Amino acid sequence: MRIQDFDTAPLTQRQILEFTYKHSTGPVVGRFLAALKEQKQIWGQRVAGGAVVVPPLGYSEWDASTAKEWVPVADEGTVVGIARVRQPVERLHPFTEPFAYILVRLDGADTALLHVTRADWERVEIGSRVRAVWKPDGERAGSILDIAEFRLVE
Amino acid sequence: MTQLRNVAIVSFAQLPVVARDEHRTAMEMLSPVVQAALAACGASRDDIDYQIAGSTDYMDGRPFGFVAALDAMGSWPPRHDNHFEMDAAFCAYYAWVRMQAGECDTALVVAHGKVSEGEPRRIMNLQLDPYYQAPLGLDPVASAALQASMVMARLQLSDRDLAEVAARNRCAGAKNPDNLVREAASPEQLAATPFVVDPLRAAYLPAIGETASCLVLAAEGKAERMCERPVWIHGAHHISELQSLGARDLSRSESTRLAAQRALAMAGLDRADQADLVELSAATPAEEWIVCEALGLDPRSSTPVLNPSGGPLCAHPIMNTGLIRLGEVFRQLSGQAGERAVPGAERAVAHATQGHCLQTNLVFVLGSQRRWS
Amino acid sequence: MPAFTEPPTEPIKYVDAHVWLPYDYVAGDYRAAYLRALKEKRILGSRCDRTGKVFVPPVSFSPHAFAPCSELVEVADRGTVTTFCIVNIPVIGRNLELPYVAASVALDGADISIFALIQECKPEEVRMGMRVEAVWKPDGERHGDHEDIQYFRPTGEPDAPPETYLHRL
Repeated sequence: MRIQDFDTAPLTQRQILEFTYKHSTGPVVGRFLAALKEQKQIWGQRVAGGAVVVPPLGYSEWDASTAKEWVPVADEGTVVGIARVRQPVERLHPFTEPFAYILVRLDGADTALLHVTRADWERVEIGSRVRAVWKPDGERAGSILDIAEFRLVE
Repeated sequence: MTQLRNVAIVSFAQLPVVARDEHRTAMEMLSPVVQAALAACGASRDDIDYQIAGSTDYMDGRPFGFVAALDAMGSWPPRHDNHFEMDAAFCAYYAWVRMQAGECDTALVVAHGKVSEGEPRRIMNLQLDPYYQAPLGLDPVASAALQASMVMARLQLSDRDLAEVAARNRCAGAKNPDNLVREAASPEQLAATPFVVDPLRAAYLPAIGETASCLVLAAEGKAERMCERPVWIHGAHHISELQSLGARDLSRSESTRLAAQRALAMAGLDRADQADLVELSAATPAEEWIVCEALGLDPRSSTPVLNPSGGPLCAHPIMNTGLIRLGEVFRQLSGQAGERAVPGAERAVAHATQGHCLQTNLVFVLGSQRRWS
Repeated sequence: MPAFTEPPTEPIKYVDAHVWLPYDYVAGDYRAAYLRALKEKRILGSRCDRTGKVFVPPVSFSPHAFAPCSELVEVADRGTVTTFCIVNIPVIGRNLELPYVAASVALDGADISIFALIQECKPEEVRMGMRVEAVWKPDGERHGDHEDIQYFRPTGEPDAPPETYLHRL
């Protein structure tokens, strides 16, 4: 018998691979996130060469040296990159209405933070000044999303 | 510059890129391609010293699924085998490095992956740092858009500048029967498509599809017996950038610049525009602007010829895309490029990339003559 | 505005991630034929064009001889236990009484073994060479998947001689 002698209508199977992970943070990432929750403060770290890295990793990605000290940065900064998501993908994107991803260089930082702009998603431009909007007390969990979004400074 | 071993591409085969093959598994797509590539250079499996495959289990939805490729590659008796969770162009580079080390004289490089079975936007989110980036749900289309906004701001590019690069790829791609998208289009038509993630319109996004492909490499001494017109590797280099998107200048590809600088130097060239054609793995016109700048090329210029295959905008079978750039160069320089041939082409550059926002880049320089005597 | 001198000393210990990836797999024609045949209580294999070796489930290309397997053949739903193990720990998602026997069974007509559950006997009675037969789900309850065969049970035939199965492990 040859394969053509059989029913070759496509046979498919849908399956969902689902896993939960608890990623261990460590003393640097863990403390940065704790500061979002408890202090409403964004921290960076100064690395060899003097740059202030936000968000911090504990080391310099440029030369792998250990970061030197914690440096507080402002919760306000300048937008350097924008991606406007017009049709959010369910269970992937954090919101169901259109929003924008932004890279924002916070005042005092030498790297840009990846985050989102919601209410001002259509108006924000590269060069715009934006400020963090925090989730209310009791709703912050120690996650990058403790910052609810960034809004235009007007 | 050191004297290296002359290594050539002696054969390349692929299936036409489709949105979804409903009748074949990845291995059933790969087997005939491996057979065709070997037949085209008159090689039996035992003539091949080394095999390496490029695929990604995340996209395949099968932990250790890559092991299935052993069946399609002819792994009995047991063979010297490797696998990369990367586009197979990087596998070709590694095979070339092994051949430089004298470990093998011939190599089989394959790519496979049924992209249609999973959702790349969800899967590629998992490539990002799990603490600060992935939880925001950033996907590869959105990260490409972020990067596009930055290069557009720095180089003062307009939507029209993206549309023109996209249209050039689409017109070239209409002549390539292996493409998923084979319709030419004008910049006006493409600029009229809706934004998916601004500034990227639907027509600026790659034509994601699936296929299987296979490249055979052979060192001098064997290559000449396997192919009438081997296409020789003159230089190759691979450079990676750091992981945090906010810590590097996304509007530039420093890694492409450095990889090209070294690959060109190996080839005895100063500039990429000394090549006759260039095949880029840039998935959007914004990436093409960035990669061209890194290579010292103008994407609006007609020399060297850019992406005569149509590039990823016409077919982006993830994990195959970079290997197909090498395959297209092979077809061009060995006189098998049909309607899309660049007449008289003797030298070419091929580029491959992986990761969000062009995180790691590979540049090959190839030619129809041996580089070293 | 009071400024902090450093972030809190107690870190947040974990970042939770919920990976949720939907897939839509293609069986491919050979596997589709195999699965559909199970519904009819038929087990298919494919024969290597070069060596005649029969693979179950059927493959389109022989990983052994690097040649196509263009012919599909039917193999018996009985065969020989080639190797086995007795499992004493539970498997998440399966409701198997412990201990249970997981075995490789070379079906009559096949050159390689399939995995099978052996039941209707004491675990210590299972041995290499034991002859077994499939116990199918009743008509109307088979859907064309691997659970259409519930398990294999001893047939009571004399054991197969080693030379008939040692090359089919």
